[in-house]
This record gives sequence, C-alpha cells and structure tokens, in this order.
Amino acid sequence: MSFARTIAGGAAAAGEIFAATDLGKSFGEDDAAPVEVIRSVSFALARGEIVSLVGPSGCGKTTLLNLICGLLAPSRGRIAWFGRPLVGTPERVGYMLQKDLLLPWRTAVENAELGLQIKRVGRAERRARAMGALERLGLAGFAGFYPSALSGGMRQRVALARTLAPDPEVLLLDEPFSALDFQTKLLIERDTARLVREEQRALLLITHDIEEAVSLSDRVIVLSRRPSRVITEHRIALPGDRTDMIQAREAPDFAHYVRSIWNELELH
Amino acid sequence: MVSVSDRVETAVMAPKPAGRARRRWRGRLGVLAAQLALLALLLAAWEAATRGAAVNAFLFGSPGGIAAALIAAARDGTLFTDTLVTGLETLAGFVLGNLLGTGIGLALWYSRFVSRVLQPFILALGSIPIVALAPIVIIWFGTGFASKLAMATLSVVVVSLVIAYKGALGVDPDQINLMRSLGADKHQIFRHLVLPASLTDIFAGLKLTVGFALVGAIIGEFMSSDEGLGHAIFKAGSLYVISKVFAELAVTVALALVLSALVHRLERALLPWRHDLQ
Ligand SMILES: Nc1ncnc2c1ncn2[C@@H]1O[C@H](COP(=O)(O)OP(=O)(O)OP(=O)(O)O)[C@@H](O)[C@H]1O
Ligand SMILES: [Mg+2]
Repeated sequence: MSFARTIAGGAAAAGEIFAATDLGKSFGEDDAAPVEVIRSVSFALARGEIVSLVGPSGCGKTTLLNLICGLLAPSRGRIAWFGRPLVGTPERVGYMLQKDLLLPWRTAVENAELGLQIKRVGRAERRARAMGALERLGLAGFAGFYPSALSGGMRQRVALARTLAPDPEVLLLDEPFSALDFQTKLLIERDTARLVREEQRALLLITHDIEEAVSLSDRVIVLSRRPSRVITEHRIALPGDRTDMIQAREAPDFAHYVRSIWNELELH
Repeated sequence: MVSVSDRVETAVMAPKPAGRARRRWRGRLGVLAAQLALLALLLAAWEAATRGAAVNAFLFGSPGGIAAALIAAARDGTLFTDTLVTGLETLAGFVLGNLLGTGIGLALWYSRFVSRVLQPFILALGSIPIVALAPIVIIWFGTGFASKLAMATLSVVVVSLVIAYKGALGVDPDQINLMRSLGADKHQIFRHLVLPASLTDIFAGLKLTVGFALVGAIIGEFMSSDEGLGHAIFKAGSLYVISKVFAELAVTVALALVLSALVHRLERALLPWRHDLQ
C-alpha cells in the first residue's frame, strides 16, 4: 500500500505533506512597476512536524501561506501537496488567517461549525463537534454570543475553534495566538502541539513571537525582509516532553536558539 | 412617613439601567414636546395669517380648512379607500421591484462577464427619469392597478439592483478566501457569505426605495386613475381646493412614515446580530 502510494506520489519523500520549491511572488505583474514580495523560498512540511515561519512585518509570510494553500497563484516555482502539483485548494487543511473573519450574523457556535456545514455534516453532529471545539478553548459559556459581544481574544479563539472543528490533518496558522493572554496561550499551544504530535498531523505556524516559535517547533524558518528568502532554518532540539511549553522554556539551549534567531532578524 | 435615610437607600439601591432608561425616555419626551410645540406654533401662525386676510386662504389653504377636508374625507370613506389603494400599489411595487432588483443584482455577482455586459444598460435605465415613462406605462398597462404597480416597480428596481450588486461586491475578499480554504464552492460562498453580508446594504436600499415606490405610485395616479391619494391630490388641485390638497398630502406623508416604520421593524427582526439597531 505505502509502496504504491510512494510510486503514485512521484518523488515525494515518505510522510511529506507539502513541498514548496523556489517559490516566488510579485504583485501587479502586468503593471509597469510590479512589487516583488517573495524572491525565492523553498521548504517542506512532514507528517507529525511543527514548523514556524518568522520574519519582519510585511516580508510576505501571509502571502506565502496563501500561495501554499492555493488561494493565490505563485509567480514562480512549484507547490506539491502529497507529492502532486496543487490544483485548487488542498483537502483536510485548516487555514486560520490573521484576522478572525468571524461572520457577524452567526453566533460563536454557528461560526465554529461553518467548516463542517460547508462539508455538509449533519446538523446535530456539527453542532456537537463545534461545541466540543469551543469547550476545549474555554468558550462553552459564550456559544450563543454574537461576535460583536465578544472580546478580541475570545473572537480569536472562536476562529481557532472554527479551524479545529473539521478535524484537519494539516494546520496552517497565521499568528493564531497573538491576541491571547499568556496563560491561555500556553494552554492552547500545548493542546495544539499534542494534537499534531500524538495524531501525526502537521502544523505550519506564522508568528512574531520567537519564544513561541522555539518552544513549539521542530524547525524555525527565518525569512528576510521583502523580497523575502530563507535566511536560515533552525532545527530545534530540546530535551523532554515537547508538548510542555514551560519545560521547553527552561531547557538550557532555549535562550541560545531565541538569541540567534533574534540576531538574524536584526541583521537582515 | 418616609425617612431621609430610607430615601437615600432607595436612591442608591435603584438599579442603574432603569435610571438610564428613564433619563433617555425623558430626553425623548422633551424632543417630542418641542416638536409638537413647533408644529402647533406654525399651524397657529398660518391660521392667524389666513384669518387676518394677510394671506389668501383660497390660494394657500388654512389649518382649519385642512382639518375640515380631513373630516369630510373620513366621513365619506374616501380617506381610507384612497389610502388603502395607494398603500397597496406602493407595497406591491416595493416588493416586486426589490425582488427583481435584488435578485438581478445578486445574480450579477455570480458572473463578472454578464455584469460587465449589462453595466451600460443598467446605467442607461437608471438615468431615465421615471416620470417620463408614465405615459407609455399607461398605454401598456391601462389606467388601473397594473399601471401603478408598474410605475412603483420601475421607481424601485434599478436602485435596488445597484445597491444589491454593490453590496455583494463589497464582501471582504479575505472572507471569501476563508470560505474557499474551508472548501466552499461558489454556491456555498454565495449562500453562507455573500447573501447575508449584503443584507445590511439591501436593507438600506429597502428604506430608500419604500419612498421611491410611493412616489412612483402617486405619479401613476396623477397620470390617469379614479382612486388613490395621487388621484385625490390631482383632482383637488385642479379644482383649486387647496386645503384638500394639503389634507391629502398630510395623509400621504403619514402613509410614508408608516411604511418606513414597517421596514425598520422588519430589519430589526431579521438582523438580530446588528446590536446598533436593537
Ligand atoms: N494584493 C496585494 N497587492 C499588492 N501588494 C500586496 C498584496 N498583498 C500583500 N501585498 C504586499 O506584500 C507585502 C507582504 O504582505 P504580507 O501580508 O504577506 O506580509 P506579512 O509578512 O504577513 O506581514 P505581517 O507580519 O505584518 O502580517 C506587503 O508589503 C504588502 O503590502
Ligand atoms: Mg501577515
């Protein structure tokens, strides 16, 4: 079975989710002065892996994520999902954009079940799964609230619930935890890490928080200013339980990783 | 006997929101009282001017004459039948025009190509003054209900179409991306996102077009009819019964206010997430 899949998957390495090769993007290519946002970026994501992208604001991280999940067409380069060139948008992917983008006419739980509704899951089941996702994020008491009655952090959590409710195999998260308080953030990071590591899913995370990137990830990819390219790729080797965010912060190498990433962002 | 401390206690214990609501209510009463006083003052000045022969009551009517005309119209029942006729024409044209306009406007969202093809035609139709169409409409649809319905519908449809189309185009592209990333097809994006997102604009259009529909119906009645408020105004005007003209105008204004209030109610009922409306 796996042999057949490898053949069908062409050159894809075993367990590879997606691979971006020499990806580039310019906006307004038909204009006299196109804006080159991404010069050349190559990287891959494998099953069970957590990878973070860090880079200065405006360097093209969100654009990169949009390219990877087929919402924007690249100007150069290739994207393969499960070894095949991407057509349309990939399946079983949970994409959470930077803005919460909650629909104001839907209550929290109705927003959380949007993805399930689109996949035509029955009413009772999707309600139950959406409630489950909200409960996990500490929002059970706010299921019937409209977004206009929720705080910024709560709205972000509802958006995260909407992303998690369809049970995606691959998570593409664009600064998902930035509006959370420190406590909630560590808890949700732990839950997300467990979800990915224990069930062999995969997570690509964009963040401005270097400590978050180091404590959570297997690899941290540092991007340069616009037009962006990969400066370095850090393989994070921390001892112990990688779903414990406090333990990760206490590891002796933690500060070393944080400092070297910080320096690279300063220099480029 | 109520002691001072009792009174202080009740004042402190009184729930704040109730106090605020009462204050707001009092503020509204004040505004209403001032408005009524202003109206009474204007009417009194008008009445005094016509009595003192400073102003010709024959040419300018008088509040007393208007009241008499209203009572007479109520007595013989024409006040109610005319209001009902015009109200029905307006409502029917309002509903039909908005269904057509909103339907086409939203449908244009589906096909960029079709919308670009139709754009100049819509603009052309939108720039025709509807009054100018009245003679043709009477020829085509006769002098009865159908021609008034057609006039009211025409007055509504282009505005409603443009508003619905603009509303649909105004949907946040990131929100569309989100729907796509969740695997939504075009139909689902329309149903779950574009349609509800356009409702705010569509309701703004409803509030605007309810007045347009009334104007359309009245113009239709002006051209040719034997009942309705427009007919009554036209007839009284051509007979120089100015007080009667004003009386029918007042009824028309009242009808317009009632219809707008109905639309506002509907909006509040259908858009429960709009906390600003509640
Ligand atoms: N549709 C577009 N047309 C033209 N330029 C665009 C477009 N979208 C993004 N850009 C530009 O591309 C650059 C990168 O944008 P992007 O949103 O990917 O940055 P980012 O790395 O996610 O930034 P941040 O960390 O602040 O979220 C910005 O300079 C932005 O102005
Ligand atoms: Mg961004």
